[in-house]
Amino acid sequence: MTTLLLAESTVKEEHGSRDKIYSYALIVLGITLIFLFQNLSKAPVNIFHNAVTIDPFSTLVKIIMVLGTMGAIYLSRSSKDIYTNLKSEFAIMAVGVLIGGMLLASANNMLTLYLGIETLSILSYVMSAFKRDESTSAEAGLKYALYGGLSAGVALYGMSHLYGVLGSIQFVEMMPKLATLQGLDVAITSVSFLLFFVGIGYKISCFPFHMWTPDVYQGSPIPVTAFFSIVPKIAGLAALVRVSMIFFSGNSIFAVSWIGLMLVIAAMTMTVGNVTAIGQSSVKRLLAFSSIGHVGMMILGVVVLNNDGIRAILFYGITYLFMTLIAFYITSHLSDMYGSDSEDVFRGLIYKHPVMAIVMAGVLFSLAGMPPFSGFVAKFNIFSVIIEKKYYGMALVAAINSVISLYYYMKLAKTMIFGQADGTEQILGFTKANQAVIVALFVPVLFLGIFWEKVMLISGNATIFIK
Amino acid sequence: MNGILNWILWLPVIGMVGVLLTPKSKENVIRYVTLATTALTLLLTIVLYLKFDTSTAAMQFVVKVPWIEQFHINYSLGIDGITLPMTFLNALLFFICTLSSWTVHKSIKGYFALLLMLQSTVFGVFFSLDFFLFYVYWEVMLLPMFFLIGIWGGENREYAAIKFFLYTFFGSIFMLVGIIALYYASGKGVDSFSILAHQGGKFTELTVDMFGHTFSFEKIFFWFMFLGFAIKVPVFPFHTWLPHAHVQAPTAVSVILAGVLLKMGTYGFLRIAFPIFPSAAVQYSNVIAILGLISVIYGAFCAMAQDDVKKLVAYSSVSHMGFVMLGLSAMTVQGMNGAVLQMFNHGTSTAMMFLLIGILYERSHHRWIVKPDGSKGFGGLYTKLPKFSVVFIIGMFASLGLPGLSGFISEALIFLGIYQKFTTITVIAVVGLLIGAAYLLWMFKRMFFGEVNPDCEKYEDMNAREVFYMIPLCICVIFFGIFPSPLLNVMKVSVGQLVDLLAKF
Repeated sequence: MTTLLLAESTVKEEHGSRDKIYSYALIVLGITLIFLFQNLSKAPVNIFHNAVTIDPFSTLVKIIMVLGTMGAIYLSRSSKDIYTNLKSEFAIMAVGVLIGGMLLASANNMLTLYLGIETLSILSYVMSAFKRDESTSAEAGLKYALYGGLSAGVALYGMSHLYGVLGSIQFVEMMPKLATLQGLDVAITSVSFLLFFVGIGYKISCFPFHMWTPDVYQGSPIPVTAFFSIVPKIAGLAALVRVSMIFFSGNSIFAVSWIGLMLVIAAMTMTVGNVTAIGQSSVKRLLAFSSIGHVGMMILGVVVLNNDGIRAILFYGITYLFMTLIAFYITSHLSDMYGSDSEDVFRGLIYKHPVMAIVMAGVLFSLAGMPPFSGFVAKFNIFSVIIEKKYYGMALVAAINSVISLYYYMKLAKTMIFGQADGTEQILGFTKANQAVIVALFVPVLFLGIFWEKVMLISGNATIFIK
Repeated sequence: MNGILNWILWLPVIGMVGVLLTPKSKENVIRYVTLATTALTLLLTIVLYLKFDTSTAAMQFVVKVPWIEQFHINYSLGIDGITLPMTFLNALLFFICTLSSWTVHKSIKGYFALLLMLQSTVFGVFFSLDFFLFYVYWEVMLLPMFFLIGIWGGENREYAAIKFFLYTFFGSIFMLVGIIALYYASGKGVDSFSILAHQGGKFTELTVDMFGHTFSFEKIFFWFMFLGFAIKVPVFPFHTWLPHAHVQAPTAVSVILAGVLLKMGTYGFLRIAFPIFPSAAVQYSNVIAILGLISVIYGAFCAMAQDDVKKLVAYSSVSHMGFVMLGLSAMTVQGMNGAVLQMFNHGTSTAMMFLLIGILYERSHHRWIVKPDGSKGFGGLYTKLPKFSVVFIIGMFASLGLPGLSGFISEALIFLGIYQKFTTITVIAVVGLLIGAAYLLWMFKRMFFGEVNPDCEKYEDMNAREVFYMIPLCICVIFFGIFPSPLLNVMKVSVGQLVDLLAKF
């Protein structure tokens, strides 16, 4: 239902004038949000011959994605990084990607899943090449397309083998057959799952499929980067969670090896992301690497293969959404004003825009997992699910990664607050509206750090429906 | 009466809001708001002391409100005889620091707001009876410290702030892993985040599989907690952040850092690491004692080698906190009482030293005993600044452990407590006392005696404000040196309970 509504919305948009499209998109997304919130408490259903599941899990994921899209579209209007004549296209494409993401989050068979990945990807390639006359943006688009095409192909190859062995593309029908596999089939299936994981792994940019992320993030316009670091990632994670829960939880014969794989991937993803982030001077690139680190954290929620893990991921996703949006909003506005996204434009921010500097510092500490911000609660939950399963070694890796991430976030905070602006440059103001939006986005970051029970309950109820 | 802890905890926050609402230009209003808040808090802690029941080891003035019921996390506060002296110390030092910060002129609105926030978080650490709450306060405390050092600090402040932050965060994240492990080990029940409910050696039998080996749960997580607290104390070899943080921090923040923040580490041992993991604590008491001993001796030698007087006092803190660790490792009534008493006494005497150095710095704008070029930084201060010198002598002798002043009693108790358990260590630790006397007296000689340095001619003696805020500390140091029983009476039941517990293992 919601997907249909969205499809309709895009058609409607084509007819409006450019400015109207922007408002239409936001209004329609707002309406979608209302429907989604209503869906949250409804019983799960499968539609389209079991191709799509609408369960509380997918609905909550969709809410996160819709909010992320709205945030990105809102940002796109003021951003100078997107050419004026492309702004309406941005809104349309973002909604298109969102539809792909929703499909991915709801996918209940292999085909829908693949369709979701492709819908998500194809428009993303275009979006990353939005700055037509800049070579970095073109590079981003090409890189994204090449990597994406390859990994989608590999995933499809894996899926076809799975179909060959298990004789169905429906998750629910495939699942019981896993237990009956024997001999060579087991080997083929495990390799196929591995290939299949490539497709998802690339979307969530986990190690070793993360190489494209920094370049694409840096080359794309900032609203696109903000969008990329939320919607495709959350969608990919949702698909990963669903597939893992269906095929590998309980007594699945692949459970042990899948958990092992996920542990290694999570550890490597966060370590690579966080260690590489240290040396970055471009804030966009820093946020790109840090988002890789966060994905690594979230994968840990997949490792445990239970509802607590899903709850932890969802809560993490919600907080990550707000933190990422604020970080990109501020980066975007600063980069519009001072023409660069390097660390230098943040220097002495506290003297130029005290409120923004404090908010940004709060977000950075939240990203690092400091109380009383919500990032801490998110991290606390991830820690707590992996410790419950007694992965102490993994907990230590995650702990050390938190320290590493704190270091580079703190370096940026230091530049903002301890650094002195040289004073020669003109001090340009944030508009009142921009400041108000950023502060409004900061409220949940703080609020969820202290009164997080309600949202935790909602995330806990958003379970996966397997039937 | 039960709400009094809430008031003490949140008054500084109210004051902070007041400061933030005051326009930037009204500097004096900001100062007086802060002063009024800290004064009121101090009054409340005195009320707390008067109402405190010294005959019970149970938690008093308990507040318990469910916070996150799903996880059984409570907002629960309470104090016992170990916390009360720390509470008083915290209130007193912040009151004094507000007065001493009168001379801060750089964006004072932010400064006083952060100072008040820091006070609230420190209270929070001492009051928390819930692990989650404790951890939140423990971490949040880092934020105001980070900014206070980083914005108002000395030349190398950014490095110092980051180092301080990273070190503490590193330790505390291990503590977090330990807290969560305890939560699951105790069965996710109603009390799984309660600090008190975990106490009493409930995890002695438990094992844990880690890296393919089976370990005792207690022994592993004792060290996790140990790391978190030891970095804070700081115990050798985790002390390297301390000199940087102290030297770069503004005077008031140095005072708070040495006066109360370091005590949070030893408080963690007393409240969490020892009572929750008693058998590991008893088993590894020799390691704690040896690390404490190294801190005493090494800190003292480092202090002796310093040319910067503030760095000297910073290293002397390492040395004196080493005595606290020695007292803790004794696990006897005298040793533990001595340790808690030393926590209080070190708080007052080091606060005096840092405040005096701050006062001197405002006049001289340098802190060199011997300048890098080899000339004397100060000389003959005694003749030029008589009031200052008298107070300095009191503070110095208190921290050196002269009988009749506060430092002596606590150190004597510690030695008394530890002698039977670790005789060799006691003998070596006494040498540390001697070195302590040596570096302090040597420093005093170089700065206060001899010919008057031409630079020192124009220095003014302490003014009325400075004298006023030094008086309470002088009283504390002298009064508790002669008559420590008001403090000992407060703590003895609580400490006794802990010693009894440890004696069972």
